[in-house]
Amino acid sequence: MSNTRGLNRRDFLKVSVAGAAGVALGSELGFPAIVHAAKVKDPIKIGLQGIMSGPLGAYGEYMKKGATLAMEEINSKGGVLGSKIEMNFRDEELKPDVAVKNARFFVDDWGADFLIGIDSSGVALAVGQLMAELNKILIVTHAATEKYNEGLVYQKQIKQCFRVSVPVYQDGIASAYVAKDLPVKTWATVSPDYEYGYTSWKMFKYYLKELRPDVEFVGESWAKFGTTDFSSHITKVMAEKPEGIFTTEWGGEAVAFVKQARLFQVFYQTKAWMNPMGGAMDVLHGLGKEYPDGAWVSSRYWFLYPDTARNRAFVEAFRKRWNDFPAYVAETSYTAVYAIKKAVEKAGTLDVQTLISTLEGMELDRPAGECVIRAEDHQAVYTVPWGEITHDPRYPMPILRNLKVFPAKEYYRKPPFPPIG
Amino acid sequence: MDAVASRRRWSRLLVAGVVIALLVLPQVGGRFWQYLTLNILLLSLFSLSFNLLFGMTGLLSFGQAAFYATGAYATALLLRTEVIPLLPSVILGTVVAALLAAFIGFFCVRHTHVYFAMLTLAFGMMVYAIMWKWTPVTGGDDGLIGIPRGSLSIPGLFTIRMDPLAHYYYFLTVLALLGIYALYRISRSPFGLVLNGMRENAGRVEFAGIPTRRYLWWAFTIAGFFAGLAGSLMAPLESTVAPASAHWAKSAEPVMASLIGGPFTFAGPIVGSLIYIGLKEVIVRFTQYWLLIFGTGLLVLVLGFRGGVVGFLLQRFARRDSPAGPAEK
Amino acid sequence: MVGTLLYQGLVGLSEAMYLWLVAAGLSLIFGVLRILNFAHGSLFMLGAYLAFYFIRLLGGNFWVGLLLGPMVVAAVGWALESFFLRRVYHLDVAFQLLLTFAFVLIFDDLVKLVWGPLYQSVATPAVLSGAVRVLGRPYPVYNLFILGVGALVGLGLWLLLEQTPWGTVVRAAASDRDMASALGVRVPRLYTAVFIFGAWLAALGGALSVPVHTISPGMGESIIIEAFLVVVIGGLGSLKGAFLGAVLIGLLHAYGIMFLPMFELALAYIGMAIVLIIRPWGMFGVREV
Repeated sequence: MSNTRGLNRRDFLKVSVAGAAGVALGSELGFPAIVHAAKVKDPIKIGLQGIMSGPLGAYGEYMKKGATLAMEEINSKGGVLGSKIEMNFRDEELKPDVAVKNARFFVDDWGADFLIGIDSSGVALAVGQLMAELNKILIVTHAATEKYNEGLVYQKQIKQCFRVSVPVYQDGIASAYVAKDLPVKTWATVSPDYEYGYTSWKMFKYYLKELRPDVEFVGESWAKFGTTDFSSHITKVMAEKPEGIFTTEWGGEAVAFVKQARLFQVFYQTKAWMNPMGGAMDVLHGLGKEYPDGAWVSSRYWFLYPDTARNRAFVEAFRKRWNDFPAYVAETSYTAVYAIKKAVEKAGTLDVQTLISTLEGMELDRPAGECVIRAEDHQAVYTVPWGEITHDPRYPMPILRNLKVFPAKEYYRKPPFPPIG
Repeated sequence: MDAVASRRRWSRLLVAGVVIALLVLPQVGGRFWQYLTLNILLLSLFSLSFNLLFGMTGLLSFGQAAFYATGAYATALLLRTEVIPLLPSVILGTVVAALLAAFIGFFCVRHTHVYFAMLTLAFGMMVYAIMWKWTPVTGGDDGLIGIPRGSLSIPGLFTIRMDPLAHYYYFLTVLALLGIYALYRISRSPFGLVLNGMRENAGRVEFAGIPTRRYLWWAFTIAGFFAGLAGSLMAPLESTVAPASAHWAKSAEPVMASLIGGPFTFAGPIVGSLIYIGLKEVIVRFTQYWLLIFGTGLLVLVLGFRGGVVGFLLQRFARRDSPAGPAEK
Repeated sequence: MVGTLLYQGLVGLSEAMYLWLVAAGLSLIFGVLRILNFAHGSLFMLGAYLAFYFIRLLGGNFWVGLLLGPMVVAAVGWALESFFLRRVYHLDVAFQLLLTFAFVLIFDDLVKLVWGPLYQSVATPAVLSGAVRVLGRPYPVYNLFILGVGALVGLGLWLLLEQTPWGTVVRAAASDRDMASALGVRVPRLYTAVFIFGAWLAALGGALSVPVHTISPGMGESIIIEAFLVVVIGGLGSLKGAFLGAVLIGLLHAYGIMFLPMFELALAYIGMAIVLIIRPWGMFGVREV
């Protein structure tokens, strides 16, 4: 009887004995046991978490779409070393305890080999530091806190953590590079009342002051999470008569903020508007014709940059599959799945330590362009442009023009990550 | 054997069975089931402490999460020093929560009904705001990350590290069971009787010469103590504490668990916690619309089964009607 | 300086009007039916979504959406009261809260099922997009519009309750239901009518917010908590109190952002706690017998 079809009796016995030993040991680690030195198992399981409910629910949905597209493409072309990818999705609900439970479910119960996703910074930190206990690789595709790469990976050496989306440097530092060339001497901000808002503003002020010592920061107002009416914030800040507004409001809040700022004539009274997350697909759709021309925005990926075959193919495939232009979280989660494929193929194993060394320094071939995962803090380094809002009849939403590109490696913070300011 | 004694025997057997199952779980169940069980235990403790105020005394508090969170943050801060061992950290954290409850209770027990509920909500959200904003101490909206579990030790005798989940499982289970038992004894004590009386008719109790306000304050403080214990045990389990643990959405959890399980029996909140957590975990595997299903379930509960699950079961299995609370005015 | 202060207050006042519309309905419903309707924020949300639906359906006409959306929600209110709320009037307040809370959960997911999880927005109608000069600063026409609607509703409610026969009946039922019933008032029908009216008011608030805010599942939750605060501050059952409570919260918010940004998160709660400590039944509340 040929051995190529199924196991013969001797192999079967060997596997059973090994399996039984594994189960006995495994009750220490979890049941059923996963024997770590396995070559490749089929299927390879990836657990994805994102915000799928409430006002930011679109972000989780876009993440799902990007990851699903990648999974379908990979599976249709033979999978990863012959194994199919299987995915499971859960809602992080913006709550660290829910996300932690989901992560434990994915790894301990469902048998995930990798975890990806995560929108909220607080959640990324909570789940990130859990990865040391769970010992699986986590690839964050949205949450931008610098405490993730600088703190968890670099300082605390939790090596299971990776990130393929840009950190807050894109919001706080690259923005300063754009702002230095704008004819604005006084800046004010209305930003989210949590770490992300504070850190971006702090970075922006610090780096811009270095580049333009003549600039002053004249006002700030912090809008609590879930703010729908920005009126009082707008008037407080405009009382200081700033020439430029910098804001890190995102998602639905960015849309409401711009709408209300328009009504308060902010765009007539100021010379510049900057929003690092203002180029997100949902914000562009949400504002439509109401988005003032000339607003400076960025995101974590802009679908028209770079103009390469790889990027065009991705956008085409995404449009065909989902009838929509890809939001940035779709590209980052798409890239995360492909990163897993590349790492597993290069390493030839699912052993976590080997995968970690494989991912360190690995180049990613992604729609967003050239990208390398830094070994020192597991942060992907790639470039996202800033641009001015414009309305182009070829597209159903406003797009960016006059792109400003600053190579990420030039402005990303580097180890040993001194405190800012 | 008459019905009451027989029921008592069955309850004792059930309790014994549950405790044994809890102690055996780490040997047969995986890490996720241990984790889920611990969540249920913590919510049970939290809900029982809430129900001391609600089911027993008739006070609906929407701010118990303030004490839960305070216990969690206090314990977390103590553990982060890496100087104070686990057990003292948990105890001290609980005491801090109880002190806060004593303070807030002083203002709240002067009010009744809706105003009491709203005041507790307000104080709960004030604590939430402090946790969110006081970044140097509480870590702000990121919270406290990477709380070490430390170890359980008697110097010279033994040291057991609490990092492995199975070890911490036993620590938490034992302490939670002790807490639940303590609440049980309180509910059956003369003090508990007075609280029940106040729920039924506060005026009469006052008339009998009992200083009701003082009793309310004590009830509030004790409830805060056990809520704080639940939080203190939670912090090392999750290794993270975030401001969300003080939000009114967290305060709503023991309310729902108690109402689902039935607020008029001691076991109700425990059963409710099991259902609340277990059901969500099951539903979420099939659909993302768990709110819809859960809400529909609540609807059915309110329209048909107001004694909660336990009340319903008791009615089914009792020879005569079980004592019902003031569900009907 | 004075100009800046007044202007900021005017801005806060316009923000308060959405809150007033929700609180008015909540207060009315509590005053007459003695129910704290936790689902009132969901009615606000439904008003927004249905107005949005009609606006999209009919190619962008805000006024039609404003008219039709709240009317449909009034019908939803009728169904809620007739089939569900009616069964819990005689029960403990906790069960009433639980019932209405169940509807919060159900509506949150229903809305997500129908319109998806992404937030929605609609362009501000051109005629309301401008700004006028107030105290030397631009004040959006839309904010003036909202102030106007809020004031009209306040006036209308006062007229309705104080000057019409129906209003008298409502007030009678609110103060003594059994007596009113004995005098021939059809109390159950009255309850339904009041609930429908309260629901309509909340939905109107939601519909009005559509052109300047974004709408999303769960948007009712923050406004219902604030509405509860307002109603308690004002005194349960007092419409006058609800109006003043909303104004107070709006002003607290506007000035809090300006002068006490550190406490902004908790300002409304601190405000309510202070009011209750000074006046345990709210500003115009009556001691419950």
